[in-house]
Amino acid sequence: MIPLLALTVFVTVTAGVYLALSRDLFRCVVGLAMLGAGANLALYAAGAKGSARPAVIQKGAEVLADAANPLPQALVLTAIVIGFALVCFALVLLLRVMQYAGSDDADRLRLAEPRPDDPLKPPSHSADCLPVYPREDRS
Amino acid sequence: MAQANTGQGIGRVERLLFTALPLSALCLVLWKLARLELPLSASLSWVPALGIDLAFHIDGLSALMLLMISAVGTAVFLYAGGYMAGHSGQRRLFVLLSLFMLAMIGTVTADHLLVLFLFWEATSVLSFLLVGFDYHKSGSRRSAQQALLITGAGGLALLAGFLLLGQAAGTYRIREIIEVVPQLEQGGRLTAALLLILVGAFTKSAQFPFHFWLPNAMAAPTPVSAYLHSATMVKLGVYLLARLDPAFGEWPLWELLLKGAGSITAAWGMILALRERDLKRILAWSTVATLGTLVTLVGMRGEGASVAVGSLLLAHALYKAPLFFVAGNIDHGTGTRVIDRLGNLRHSMPWTAAVALLAGASMAGMPLSFGYIVKDVIVEAKSAGEVFAFAKAANTIFGAVAVAVAGVAAVRVFWRHPGVNESCEAREGSLSMILPPLALALSGITLGVFPFFAQGLIAGAAGAMVPVPREILLGITLEFGPTLASLALSYAIGLGVYISWDWLHERFDAAVQRIDRLGMAAHFERLLRGIPRAAAASTRFVQSGSLPAYVALAIGTLSLLLALVMALGWSSFAVPALGGIPGPAVLGACALIAAGALASLFQKDRLALLLSAGLVGYGSGVLFLFSGAPDVAYTQFTVETVFVIVAASILLVLRRSGRLSSLPEARWRPAALALAAAFGAVIMLLLFVASTGPFDPALSDYFSETSLPQAFGRNVVNVILVDFRALDTLGEITVVLLSFLAALPLLALRRAGRERKAEAE
Amino acid sequence: MKRRVVMLEAAAGPLYWVILGSSLWVLLRGHNEPGGGFIGGLLAVSASILWAVSHGSGAARRRLPLKDPLRLAAAGVLLAGFSGLPAWLGGQPYLTHLWGKLPLGFMEYKVSTVLLFDLGVYACVWGALAGYALALLELDEGPPEEERR
Repeated sequence: MIPLLALTVFVTVTAGVYLALSRDLFRCVVGLAMLGAGANLALYAAGAKGSARPAVIQKGAEVLADAANPLPQALVLTAIVIGFALVCFALVLLLRVMQYAGSDDADRLRLAEPRPDDPLKPPSHSADCLPVYPREDRS
Repeated sequence: MAQANTGQGIGRVERLLFTALPLSALCLVLWKLARLELPLSASLSWVPALGIDLAFHIDGLSALMLLMISAVGTAVFLYAGGYMAGHSGQRRLFVLLSLFMLAMIGTVTADHLLVLFLFWEATSVLSFLLVGFDYHKSGSRRSAQQALLITGAGGLALLAGFLLLGQAAGTYRIREIIEVVPQLEQGGRLTAALLLILVGAFTKSAQFPFHFWLPNAMAAPTPVSAYLHSATMVKLGVYLLARLDPAFGEWPLWELLLKGAGSITAAWGMILALRERDLKRILAWSTVATLGTLVTLVGMRGEGASVAVGSLLLAHALYKAPLFFVAGNIDHGTGTRVIDRLGNLRHSMPWTAAVALLAGASMAGMPLSFGYIVKDVIVEAKSAGEVFAFAKAANTIFGAVAVAVAGVAAVRVFWRHPGVNESCEAREGSLSMILPPLALALSGITLGVFPFFAQGLIAGAAGAMVPVPREILLGITLEFGPTLASLALSYAIGLGVYISWDWLHERFDAAVQRIDRLGMAAHFERLLRGIPRAAAASTRFVQSGSLPAYVALAIGTLSLLLALVMALGWSSFAVPALGGIPGPAVLGACALIAAGALASLFQKDRLALLLSAGLVGYGSGVLFLFSGAPDVAYTQFTVETVFVIVAASILLVLRRSGRLSSLPEARWRPAALALAAAFGAVIMLLLFVASTGPFDPALSDYFSETSLPQAFGRNVVNVILVDFRALDTLGEITVVLLSFLAALPLLALRRAGRERKAEAE
Repeated sequence: MKRRVVMLEAAAGPLYWVILGSSLWVLLRGHNEPGGGFIGGLLAVSASILWAVSHGSGAARRRLPLKDPLRLAAAGVLLAGFSGLPAWLGGQPYLTHLWGKLPLGFMEYKVSTVLLFDLGVYACVWGALAGYALALLELDEGPPEEERR
């Protein structure tokens, strides 16, 4: 089962990173989510020992026997919830960036780090003359 | 000044309270000295786990330093009350000076290397604040920065040296170290410790090649210069060397470096003094030269040299501090310190002139002054110990130029008629600006006439450097010796230098300017200018400003590191066995995940992209459900459902702004794909390694066995979450809460922006 | 501006309570059967989303306990952190859970600080994630806006 899971993880992680490397911010966020899903799968697969029975102790039994390993499940469960919170945050950030900068193109978001040939770019030897950017929303 | 115009100085009562601090310290030291209660020791456990105690020990050397710190401190505090009268920064000055004095006291009494280091660093930081006291002037800020960088860097070297020394000696107690180290083999570690400690001491005491910061530190107000740069802080390096002299004294390297650096500093400082036109900077360079002489003397063997160190320490404090006060009085009274524009001040500033004469006599080593006795002791020490010829020459230059500098400070500005007389409006300052320097200068003369008073003190200080009985040290009397001839020679040369001061100044200035470009100060400046340039260049290289580039950099670095780690452990690697064919549900789930992931790569439409990504999530859920993880599966299903609903509503927003399709982009980005595949492969290999390695079931078994008996729960996953690892879960829900908290201002900003836009329309 | 869907509104009323009730049931049985605070909280989030889709985000927000998602989430974290205090005050390590039996006459119900902790998780997940979801859904409800420059 491990090779199959590993192959699945490979495809998911590769697709996630490929999307995250896009200059389209929306694809970037989706890629981040997919990368998270791949990480969860990998974590789960690494600890997948035992049978495919749920990790619930049978009625009458005292200890867990012949069941899936509960430890990675607990880890993955919280990772899913936290990952979801992260993706939600990224979406909120994305929407705010689109409103503020008027673009969802990562290559055009250069408020903090202008291109070297930008006329507003400070000369390399001086930290005194920082460029002045509009504080308010640019529209 | 930003604050000077608005505020007033502090009141008389507050000033007196501040001054009571050094005064009570002085009284305490004098009382202890008079009752011969030294040495004193005290210790307080501080960090017992690391063996760090707040250990203090006061012997003769510490007592001498304490006496100078408290006596000059009292004078400085009194003086500052008059000099800074009405200045709004006066309280800041007093607070900083008080803290500085406490740090000094701590440094010279500490008996533990690391405790000493702490106080040492405190003096560096406080001296930074004091030199940069007039922080609105860029010159002050630059000088303060230079002083801090040099002494701070030296402090780091010192810490490293202390740690090495403490490890080699097996103890950090200074008294134990100086007993242990001479018996140790002179190995590489001790040599490294020695060199690092020397760097620390040399930077603090402005020894060549770190000498250039001290004259620049004259940007500080005069009370600060008089305190830090004549009597106390710059002597710390000398103090440390004298303290460790019994440990390293027999090392040829120690002797060579101390004598070499000290002699060069003594000669070079005096030559540079001839270049200056600013009275305070002239005094600063002569201080550098004196420090060089002190270091040379510490490096010399014999009781005579030790006595010379003690007496020169005391004498220098007693004449240099008043001379700094004189420079301050002149600055205060006339508004300038440039000697070309000063002259004939004896009528308008008679008291200052008297102080200058008394202190100058001591500096020049005139008979009946304490300086004369010290000079005598030094000449004797140098003729007794075998010294390099160069050191002798340096000593001659030092002595002669000291005479000349004393002449400039005490005679020239008060008697000679200047070419341009701007000093006619000069006036004497208040009483608090005359009494302190007068008292210090007078005590210098008193000790010259009655050297007996200082004898016990100096013998005690010398006893810290040479382990000989007190009686032998007392035998080296502080009396007029037979070396009058050599002293006469230095007076004669000094007189010549004094007379030809201006002529020499022109020659030296021209010559030294050429050397300046190669000097340490120039290198230091270049280094400072280079740092922001290097920072800008590296920032430019790393911070390209492109988000994909950052992601690529992070992912690429991570891949490389992981691959490297796995390559190092390659021998334990094996491809896991297929291990039976999984059930159709699992197979289907994996196919679903893979299909969703692959499909997402080709979607131009954002809704389709979202649906493909959703397949990955639902596929994972199915996989979890059929491999024994129902909790995870339900969580995944619910999360996916919520995510799709939320994302769909966002897509509706995007549709309204006409952004439903992705940005146009090359269909294939081979470089990105290669990097992504490389990272995926690394993660896959990592999974192989994890699953083929030995599996440690300790935790899983523990949870499986104790879940019901101890935690009363049958669902082991839930028991782990809420009971066994409850603290982790608490942390995780806190993260969820914090992420929401962080999103709230973004949402508020967005709402505000939208309302503004609506209003504008 | 909101388009009203009468069917949805009518169905939302009972459905909301059914989902919320099942989320509580999942929470309570979580210690012995699959379930627990995380899953229960997520189910509750979906109930809130249902209400937001049918009656608007503001109404859904007002329906939350404590009337505000942030307050609900913070209360959850506080409750979870608080559940570890009794043991700590009794000299045991923080977050050691205590158990007791609540006699109800005809049966005994086991009560424990674990339940408090899980309730805290439930409230935090519900509050924070519903807060996100409602805020993002709200964007769709606002006046049409021109995002492009």
